Amino acid sequence: MKRKNKKFQKRSSTSSLNKLSLFQKTDGKFNRSCPLSIKNAPVIDYKNISLLKKYLSENDKILSSKITSVSSGKQKKLTREIKKAKILGLI
Amino acid sequence: MSFYENTLVTKQDLPKSELEKIKDKYNEVINSNSGKVVKIEEWGLLNLARKIKKYNKGFYIHYKFEGNKVTLEEIKKKLKTDRSIIRHLIVKYKNLDVKNEFFKKTK
Repeated sequence: MKRKNKKFQKRSSTSSLNKLSLFQKTDGKFNRSCPLSIKNAPVIDYKNISLLKKYLSENDKILSSKITSVSSGKQKKLTREIKKAKILGLI
Repeated sequence: MSFYENTLVTKQDLPKSELEKIKDKYNEVINSNSGKVVKIEEWGLLNLARKIKKYNKGFYIHYKFEGNKVTLEEIKKKLKTDRSIIRHLIVKYKNLDVKNEFFKKTK
């Protein structure tokens, strides 16, 4: 099911290059949109620890945006809030 | 007059009366030096992620207030000299969102 949104037009220019990869399973990680910049995304705050915990590994390391496909502006905000929560001992 | 959020972490072994005293004390400090307390939240006894000064649990008090430089200096001075508070954090905000409560006690 082709997705009809702005992002798709930008991708179509590159799709002509990797014609071969049409048959391989397109990896979800690369063209996934940022989960935090959808319309009513949860507010990124040091008090909202349930959201922050999603972006932390088991031993409380901040996951890189390559893995969680978070946009760079939101990733900066995320790290600041996580560090504030760590100061308070919440995380 | 900008908006600030101040969270305090007090020791776990304080009696209820002591906690009330602390809460009112800082409420008083804010209101007396040209500040205005918008909201006070008590997050209750939460266990800390790691040991802070040999304590595993801390009682969290959260203030949302409006103030200027004078109130900030006064609060910081008081917080540093207070033995029963093990950690505090003051954050400046453009506008406070009072409505969503993350540590609401689900009664």
